[in-house]
Amino acid sequence: MKRALYFLSLLLLVSVVATGCGEKKEEKKAAAVAGIKIGSLGPLTGQYAADGNDIKNGVLAAIEVMNPEMGALGPVALQPEDDACDPRQAVAAANKLISEKVTAVIGAYCSSATIPAAEPLMAAKIFMITPASTNEKVTESGHKFMFRTCGRDDDQSKAAVKFMTDHLKAKGVYIVDDKTTYSQGLADNVEKLSASSGLKVLGHEHVNQGDKDFSAVLTKVKAAKPDVFYVSLQNSAAAAPMLIQIARMGIKTKILAQDAVYHPQLMELAKKDAEGVYLTFGYTDKETPAYKKFAETYKKFGEPGAYSAYAYDSAIAYLKAVKAAGSTDPEKVKAELMKLDFAGASKQIKYKENGDSGSNYVIQVVKDGKFDNFWNPENGQLYKQ
Amino acid sequence: MEVFLQQLVNGITLGGVYALVALGYTMVYGIIQLINFAHGEIFAAGGYMGVILISWMVAQGYPPFVCLGVALALAMGYCALLAMAVEKLVYKPLRSSSRLSVLLSALGMSIFLQNGLMLTQGVYDRAYPGEMVQGGFEIGGAMVSYMQVVIVGVTVFLLVALNGLVFRTRIGKAMRATAQDKTMSALVGINASRIISLTFAIGAALACAAGIMVGMYYGSVRYDMGFVLGVKAFSAAVLGGIGNITGAMLGGLVIGIIEVFAAGYISSEYKDVFAFIILIAVLYFRPTGIMGENVDDTRV
Repeated sequence: MKRALYFLSLLLLVSVVATGCGEKKEEKKAAAVAGIKIGSLGPLTGQYAADGNDIKNGVLAAIEVMNPEMGALGPVALQPEDDACDPRQAVAAANKLISEKVTAVIGAYCSSATIPAAEPLMAAKIFMITPASTNEKVTESGHKFMFRTCGRDDDQSKAAVKFMTDHLKAKGVYIVDDKTTYSQGLADNVEKLSASSGLKVLGHEHVNQGDKDFSAVLTKVKAAKPDVFYVSLQNSAAAAPMLIQIARMGIKTKILAQDAVYHPQLMELAKKDAEGVYLTFGYTDKETPAYKKFAETYKKFGEPGAYSAYAYDSAIAYLKAVKAAGSTDPEKVKAELMKLDFAGASKQIKYKENGDSGSNYVIQVVKDGKFDNFWNPENGQLYKQ
Repeated sequence: MEVFLQQLVNGITLGGVYALVALGYTMVYGIIQLINFAHGEIFAAGGYMGVILISWMVAQGYPPFVCLGVALALAMGYCALLAMAVEKLVYKPLRSSSRLSVLLSALGMSIFLQNGLMLTQGVYDRAYPGEMVQGGFEIGGAMVSYMQVVIVGVTVFLLVALNGLVFRTRIGKAMRATAQDKTMSALVGINASRIISLTFAIGAALACAAGIMVGMYYGSVRYDMGFVLGVKAFSAAVLGGIGNITGAMLGGLVIGIIEVFAAGYISSEYKDVFAFIILIAVLYFRPTGIMGENVDDTRV
């Protein structure tokens, strides 16, 4: 009887840990014979895991496409590392990638992880191409091997404020961020720009990362009666509970969010409460051959997230440059990388002297459970629905 | 006034959840003086069991309240068994060793269960099926959603049931006796091991109910959701007077309301800071918490 009880207890514990292992071995094997080894950096666990895995999968898709073309330089192998979006863990992961002798790192997701991780990587002359960190400071340290495939937050905030004043004709805005380098940086930009374009900032609140209960802040927002509620949170999993609570509290204000909430996960978690939410995101033409090729290759990883295509383009850009240079020598690859000008899946990829590749923010809207282009800040025109 | 009422409603909802989880900490501490760090993970496991059961039943087309009721009952049973298994395998063999080693094994268990959930359920947020309880009503300008009513209702029901169990039944009497003096109660014929096991089970069942309601309220669960909530609930237990059941209920409510009011009237940035300032202030003047831990009659 006693033994049976013990056995049963053990079984119950095992029920929590039963499945899930067994995929990782193959990756290791491939790495042993690789000609080129690149790393990916991003949160693979924790609340931003969805975004980190998008980056990793985007790079895997790029490797799959580029491998046949690499000839004697190949094959290319990936070493994915988890930074959990934490500055300290990001630096540790960067050091690990250095000791693994990677020649380039695609990542990270959070600006607060990218900026510190760049230091050891740059010292080791390893390329860092971030597909997702939009904070201005990422490319402002004058690092020689730092590149960015996505847009910049100063441009993003301009697009956001222009949308609020020109299209929504808003008079008052309420701002909330969750205190990360990225989310607060962007919210501060929006606050500054709003003030100078005649949009009254009714309040600017900071919530904690990982909070799920926003009822107190939302009660304040409701009482302030803003025309627009600007939500700057670190990702879609943080924004979904906020949208649910906004709907539950009967707040009818227009909501404008930013690139970090662009993820199919948003609709999965917030469901109908995500409908009608506006957000700023880089413009991607999904009808180009480059995007279609990406979508086809990416299919096995599921639906592309916000920065899957950018991660894919970042890795393709690096591998194209290596191919052109004929080696992984950082100086030679850098020269080739600067010459690149090709149609990527996300946009036209052409890096500038400081490592940026230009911003092309447009306003999107959630409609029938999908992200749709809505308004173009360049010409103030609505997109055809 | 409207804002005040609304914040009060928000605070009570949050406080109810804290109270449910705090009870598990306080009951286990009361009976074996162990801070059960794995308790927060039981809460998360409950949230996951809830989403699995509810998704399945909604897909079968059962009405929402049947889904909720059955899922609550089954998941609470699962969590109770899980907690009993943890107690039997991890804590019981260490019962005669120093308190520090039990405490460390509790920390280890917490990490083990959290990673277990991550491996089996994935690292992504998992969504609860669409709004099962929709709509709401207004009182004096404050919006009260039916979901909040369900949370407060279930919480009050469970708290009343627990009070009845502890103070009105023979089992409850045995629990209180074991908490006061294990050796003595064993001498009068109480099976202490069984009572301890039962205490773990009851605490886990309450945490499990909290996990499901949190999942439904915020729309999703994640494997690491037990950590932060566990810390808050533990503070609530300490605030009320650890080991004291009424204290845990009160502590949960106080922490929930303070958090919301600090966020609403001062700054949401500092809501946790204020919750902990109150905790420190109370402990400074009353080191045993609001209700005190040594009220023998109410200690379990």
